[in-house]
Amino acid sequence: MSESTKVLVNKPIDFKKTIKKNSRFFSNRLLLTGSILLVITTFIGVFASFLSPYEILEIDPKNRLAAPSNAHWFGTDNFGRDVFSRTMYGVRISLLIGVTVTLVASVIGLTVGLLASYYKLLDHIFMRICDGLFAFPSILLAIAIMSALGPKSINVIIALVLVFIPSIARIVRSAALVVKEKVFIEALQAQGASSFRILFLHIAPNILAPLIVQVTFVFAVTILTEASLSFLGAGIPAPLPSLGNMLYDGKLAIYNAWWMTVFPGLFIILIVLGLNLFGDGLRDHLDPKSKLSVKRRKRR
Amino acid sequence: MSHVVPLLKIEDLQVDFATHKGTVSALDGVSFELQEGEILGVVGESGCGKSVTAEAILQLLDEDSTFYDGKIMFNGENLLEYNKKKLEKLRGNDIAMIFQDPMSSLNPVMPIGKQIAESIHIHQSTSKKESIRKAVELLRLTGIPSPEQRAKEYPHELSGGMRQRVMIAMALSCQPKLLIADEPTTALDVTIQAQILELITSFQKQLNMGIILITHDFGVIANMCTKVAVMYLGQVIEETDVKTLFKRPFHPYTIGLMKSVPQIEGERVEQLPSIAGTVPSLFQIPTGCRFAPRCKYASSTCESSMPSLETVENNHRVRCWHYDEVLKGETIYAD
Amino acid sequence: MGGYIIRRLLSLIPVLLVVAVVVFLIIHITPGNPAMIILGEGATPEQIEELNQKLGLDKPLIAQFFIWLANIAQGDFGDSYFLGKPVLIAFLENAGPTLSLAVLAQLIGVTIALLFGIVAAKNQGRMKDDLISGTSLIGISIPSFLLGSFLIMIFAVQLKVLPVSGYAPLSQGIWEHLKYLILPAITLGTIQAALITRMTRSSLLDTLSENFIKTAKAKGVSERAILLKHTLRVAFLPILTVIGESFAGLITGAAVTESLFNIPGLGQLIVASINRRDYAVIQGAVLMITVVYVLMNLLVDLLYAVIDPRVRNSYQA
Repeated sequence: MSESTKVLVNKPIDFKKTIKKNSRFFSNRLLLTGSILLVITTFIGVFASFLSPYEILEIDPKNRLAAPSNAHWFGTDNFGRDVFSRTMYGVRISLLIGVTVTLVASVIGLTVGLLASYYKLLDHIFMRICDGLFAFPSILLAIAIMSALGPKSINVIIALVLVFIPSIARIVRSAALVVKEKVFIEALQAQGASSFRILFLHIAPNILAPLIVQVTFVFAVTILTEASLSFLGAGIPAPLPSLGNMLYDGKLAIYNAWWMTVFPGLFIILIVLGLNLFGDGLRDHLDPKSKLSVKRRKRR
Repeated sequence: MSHVVPLLKIEDLQVDFATHKGTVSALDGVSFELQEGEILGVVGESGCGKSVTAEAILQLLDEDSTFYDGKIMFNGENLLEYNKKKLEKLRGNDIAMIFQDPMSSLNPVMPIGKQIAESIHIHQSTSKKESIRKAVELLRLTGIPSPEQRAKEYPHELSGGMRQRVMIAMALSCQPKLLIADEPTTALDVTIQAQILELITSFQKQLNMGIILITHDFGVIANMCTKVAVMYLGQVIEETDVKTLFKRPFHPYTIGLMKSVPQIEGERVEQLPSIAGTVPSLFQIPTGCRFAPRCKYASSTCESSMPSLETVENNHRVRCWHYDEVLKGETIYAD
Repeated sequence: MGGYIIRRLLSLIPVLLVVAVVVFLIIHITPGNPAMIILGEGATPEQIEELNQKLGLDKPLIAQFFIWLANIAQGDFGDSYFLGKPVLIAFLENAGPTLSLAVLAQLIGVTIALLFGIVAAKNQGRMKDDLISGTSLIGISIPSFLLGSFLIMIFAVQLKVLPVSGYAPLSQGIWEHLKYLILPAITLGTIQAALITRMTRSSLLDTLSENFIKTAKAKGVSERAILLKHTLRVAFLPILTVIGESFAGLITGAAVTESLFNIPGLGQLIVASINRRDYAVIQGAVLMITVVYVLMNLLVDLLYAVIDPRVRNSYQA
């Protein structure tokens, strides 16, 4: 059987094969609905300029606080700007912030988590820092960082990245610790594979499943946190529209211009809901014990 | 014998599971019967459906995705027609079950005395205090020293053997007429295994219980059982009394199984005989005789049509088209 | 057991140190002289220098840090420049409303969650479960201030049964006190409920698939008793963790809701202080909140030992 000198050891599940089981994907309603919502909102984000009938910064004082009409589907805000167009761009900006924060935080968090799982000394240092950061309420940490750095979009990204690195690092670390104990790692070490190789080419692929699920939820919380930050006035600065700062503008006019709050708010909910559905669905999909698409027995 | 109602009679039991890959047939037409006081061994490889059969009797399988067909007659009544209330009254009372791994089968945050007392309290309507007292008594009967103290302890504080004794005490607390034992000794040390089996045997004699003993160990079968049923891929393929099974088995699978057990006496063999091929997955059940792909006696009939479980001798049933040829071709064990 | 507690408390010190450093650093990274910002544009150099000295801002950063720590060890969190009172006092004054709100919200959340979580687990895959799971998913997707605004619009503006915003302390009578807290508590409580329901449901489902539940079933224990007596007790541990963590999160993160409903709580205090650069308050309050958070986690861990005998044993080792 073995002419080759490769050690045949039990490698954990190749999760790419799991995803290819199409029937499971389509019968997973969570995953499906979530994906649809995400596709729609991403479409809006990408094609915002085509979807917007008006310029987002265009002021029209005569038309201030106009209710939704044929001319302005979502009404106008306190400067007379078209809420519909601003909402479309708001989706783009919020999504951009979300994607950027999530990507950067994931890459850094992945590295930190992997290193912490492998090197005891780094583990102590990194995890103490993460515990400390974790003990901070995320909103307050974000506000504090924003006020230290100043009100600019890039600072929102920096602040949120710092806030979310610990949660990703933690998940990566716990998952990596489990994989590290498996026999095939020992085999690789015995073969003389470098630590870098083991960490990034072998352990990392096997922790992708819980990582991606966590990343999805981090994305969702990023959107919510950015919204809260902007709502408090500490987020994306005006006049650029983010869904959060549109709610800030809407806060003052809430009793006579409900549309300034409801429509951006609705889109926040849709994005976050889509992400949560996707994350939940993904988790069920990757879990072998789940009861997806099981026909229920007829009651006697 | 035929006018005595058997304790348990399973007729053509079919159990299907709904999975995300489709419906899977775990049991296909399982039939056997058990009289009062008999000990039936059910033997077969992993995945043949022995545990499913055991759990099907008490309908412990997942309610939402399990489909039953056929009959499970207990003292003349079909258990598959029982409503929830009747089932709850039956379980732990007339029919009791013990499981393979006592550590995970006991509630980790409840003292063991309380767990035993629970059975008594439910079925005998005794007060909580009285139930505990009876539970302690049962612990003593199963050979656990200082039972009053032990009763307050938690499962993780006991050894594996003691935990299984607790399970036995719990199962027998209401003096069931039928005990289903699903691999009760597999998870235990070899030395403890004998003790537990002895315990079960002594209780059986006292209560004249019928026992269904699930195992993959032929040694256990030889020691304890009066009858044996051999299962393969969701079906019973041979059934007879224990002596005949060891002396004159008919089905090629049974013979293969028994030959693969190392013998202390008899001639020395160079290589342990094994059955060719592997057990197919339940999603790819062969047409015709399910064992045909691995059987050296297989003919075209075997591959196209399924033999039924026929009575070929007194109390000996086999599911095989060519059992008489098999007999001629194999060496028969000396006793 | 006592030894365990002491060990845990000691292990908190490095965490708190990190927190202290982070808080300190964040605040002092601000470009620009704080005294100048506080005093505004018309200030003379002498005034700025005076304030600098008064606030101790002229000393090197490290010195400031250790002086601060040393003071804290003696219980002195410094004074708030803007409020004119010790930070500790300001903290305690604002802690009351936040605590009331948090307790009320958590009560609402836990009650709803346990109920719905059990119903969802019991009816897994069927309509009741789908409804509950779906609703709780939506619940964690709504920003709190959106839900709050919505509730204000309906109950305070349209129906006029509850006040729009504001706060009354307990001393003014319990109904007065509760009147102002109901809407914010429902806002926060709903989101809490969504979070906890999800954990309740999943923990129950995980436990239901365990072997000992099969044994209980085989004993003839009724479905109800299996759920409440056997499953819930074992499943409760992870649920408890979420309850503890989310409560700590309530206390520390209610800032946005407090801002919306104009409740003079810790959230408002800290946000205002950040905007005003009231360093003493920011540092002291955030540090104290973190201590609370960390202590709550410890409490949850200890409760674990009470509930789960397996954990008890390992603590005594």
